[in-house]
Amino acid sequence: MIKRLVFGSLCFLSLPLFGQVDTSLYQSLQIQEVTIREDAAGLSIDSKSASLDLNISRTELKKAACCNLSESFETNPSIDVAFTDAVTGTKQIQLFGLAGKYAQIQVEMTPLVRGLLANSGLQFIPGTWVQSIQLTKGIGAVNNGPESMTGQINVELLKPEDLVDAAEAPGSEGRGDLLLNGYANQGGRFEINEAYGARINSKWMLASLGHFSGRQRGTDVNGDGFLDNPLGYQVNGMLRARYFGQNGWEGLYTFHALEDVKQGGQMANAFAPGIGADQLWKSNIKQGRLAITAKTGWVNPDLPDQSIGTIVQVYSHELGVEMGLPKRTAPSSLYSQFRGIQNGGMAQLLFRHGWGALTQTSGIVLQHDAYQVGLDRLELGNGRPWVENNVGLSTEWTYSAGERFTAVLGMRMDAHSIAGYQFSPRFHMRWEPRASHTFRVVAGRGFRMAQPLLEEYGRLASQRFIRWEQYGQVLGGDLLSMESATNMGLSYSHPFKLNYMAGGIQADLHRTQFQRAVIHDFYTPGERSIYPVNIRDWPGSIPLQSVSAGVSVNYNLNKRSELRMAYRYQVLQASYYSDDLNGNGLMTLPVPFVAPHRFMAHYSRSFKGGIVMDVTLQRYGKQAIPGIDPSIRPAIDYAPAFHLLSAQIRQEFKGGDLYIGMENALNITQSNPIDGAVSPQTSQPLLPSDPYFQSHFDATRIWGPIFGRMLYLGTNIAL
Amino acid sequence: MKNLLSLLFILCVSASAMAQKKVEVQFQTDGVCGMCEKRIETALLNLDGVWTADWNVETHETMVVYNPKKIEELELHQAIAAVGHDTPLVKAKDEDYAKVHGCCKYREEAVRKAH
Repeated sequence: MIKRLVFGSLCFLSLPLFGQVDTSLYQSLQIQEVTIREDAAGLSIDSKSASLDLNISRTELKKAACCNLSESFETNPSIDVAFTDAVTGTKQIQLFGLAGKYAQIQVEMTPLVRGLLANSGLQFIPGTWVQSIQLTKGIGAVNNGPESMTGQINVELLKPEDLVDAAEAPGSEGRGDLLLNGYANQGGRFEINEAYGARINSKWMLASLGHFSGRQRGTDVNGDGFLDNPLGYQVNGMLRARYFGQNGWEGLYTFHALEDVKQGGQMANAFAPGIGADQLWKSNIKQGRLAITAKTGWVNPDLPDQSIGTIVQVYSHELGVEMGLPKRTAPSSLYSQFRGIQNGGMAQLLFRHGWGALTQTSGIVLQHDAYQVGLDRLELGNGRPWVENNVGLSTEWTYSAGERFTAVLGMRMDAHSIAGYQFSPRFHMRWEPRASHTFRVVAGRGFRMAQPLLEEYGRLASQRFIRWEQYGQVLGGDLLSMESATNMGLSYSHPFKLNYMAGGIQADLHRTQFQRAVIHDFYTPGERSIYPVNIRDWPGSIPLQSVSAGVSVNYNLNKRSELRMAYRYQVLQASYYSDDLNGNGLMTLPVPFVAPHRFMAHYSRSFKGGIVMDVTLQRYGKQAIPGIDPSIRPAIDYAPAFHLLSAQIRQEFKGGDLYIGMENALNITQSNPIDGAVSPQTSQPLLPSDPYFQSHFDATRIWGPIFGRMLYLGTNIAL
Repeated sequence: MKNLLSLLFILCVSASAMAQKKVEVQFQTDGVCGMCEKRIETALLNLDGVWTADWNVETHETMVVYNPKKIEELELHQAIAAVGHDTPLVKAKDEDYAKVHGCCKYREEAVRKAH
């Protein structure tokens, strides 16, 4: 029924047919569904795809109304949102317990969350710009890149035709080509978003996407002298042009610019009068991006199974981080700074041809990244420039035997200027032995280049002494910073109807095993060691491994309410250098900040008169965290299990909605999130000049929320 | 513990839902497209006592599951006619038919042929 609704809404629009072609061109063969519209289910599995693909629609994104892409996964049982430190204010995501950097995260099949933006790129995609998200659990398609290890997340943003079609659709009364959103919360954050589309003529359409957000009012709920969230602003804008020509030609051209400034650290009013700003620990993070993307495609009008697509993108990223006391007054151990510039680009050509049951898509991609990094931190010395070039050849063959069986074999060869030749074979299979009982198998390999220090810049907010003697280049750009892994998975999905109401069961089991990994070792108090572990130097060891099993059930209890429940068990282990007396072994220990037991329940109910209520309960089980007691080796501590409850009520009206919600309704906070911030005797905030601060300060051990219960209010308006 | 409670909650809710008396009926309804489908289904689902409703765009058949203690079958037909679609029991008034979108004018030969 859902499918039919989707087709129904499309049946009068002339252009989405081309939109469909576009998605099949760029989204690999597996995701060739019709663009899912707002009236489709919030969270749906692509039943025909050989890989386990979840589609997350705009409807779903409204269930958790704030704010950017990382937060939009809060109602999704597959992705965990980890907690932010008070300095960067960036929420991280985890898939199968592994950090988001091990998934390939793309915007319309082009890289965004990569390189200098590997840590923070997600926050530069405002939730209201998103048209839909495709989440693939298990390794992704070869044509999309080598970097997928745990999965793939592709975000489709609003395109000119989405806005223009909405306004031209029958019954819309011309609304929908201008979308406005406003948001404010108790923590002082506000946000304004805009999306506008216009038709120029029968071939060209334009759109603009805008975002301005910020936080001007600082809070310190826990009284440790530090801001709970950084202050600052983000200006983010995109201009897009869409071309639908004759004879199957189409194009999408995008200009993207953003600037983001975040200032965190100690607040002057937490200390005695007369303490100047130059005596306080401060952080200052500046990021910017300029990018131009051109996508052009051609579909053979006589042979729709034949198409060619090209993507060309050039970009420049800038990241500047300053932490500690102002440089002129700082004893150097209390100051870190780096400035990085990443200039790069990519060019990709994809060719697709089908022979009925057999289809192939092949591609060639050229990638170039030039990094220029200046570093100033006592124990690390200076930065340097380096270049990464890559030529990737990929081919993917899909065989479908009727409706019940699909197999995809993909092969990829990368010639990388640092990693050398890398071969990544991948395999996906879907088998439906009985109607609506679907099994999927996935196996494959991926690799990425880490930037050990830069991509974890939030962890510089610490007096931990960074050890990297064993390491080649702490910044990246050499073979030791390469990470590679194989992923294997098995899943089962079963949509059902019970008592006339739709529901579904999903179960999956995945193992991701690294052959090479860069380990961040926080298990020695006062120290942070970064080192590569690979199976050549340590035969029989597993540098990093995730084993994850999950089951989720969703069911429409009646025509107005839906219940979704999910449980996931995940074991994450890494090999750490052992500091026992022999001094030359590896120890397998749990990876910190990953809760092995995760539970989520989500209840949604709509009422007459356009009121929608959403309630989400999440349970984070006990998780390993780095300990601070020097007498325990390895220093592993455990954070207690906790629950997060959020609720939202939304009132829809003609041409928009108004929503009010509460996050963390149970008011759970981590006590003393920042070590060394307050005096152990008096509980008063300490200045960086205090010896206790200098030996203990550490903002990297955050496992739970810092800000407690929080109210928010927002509105969407379609004009 | 929480999981157990939630499970009990589901069982209770679904048990009570199943315990309700339900009747399934099917009848022809004139219409042409997905937009009509949405209009017909929304009209039915907005009624108290209707458990589920589905209009098939190919067979033009409406399937409704409802609780006869809360609503009568004739009221289902009246609700559909009120949004402009003809059923075997109630023909839509001309002023209600006039409100449906131009591409849904199922009484016109040309529109029917176009679908």
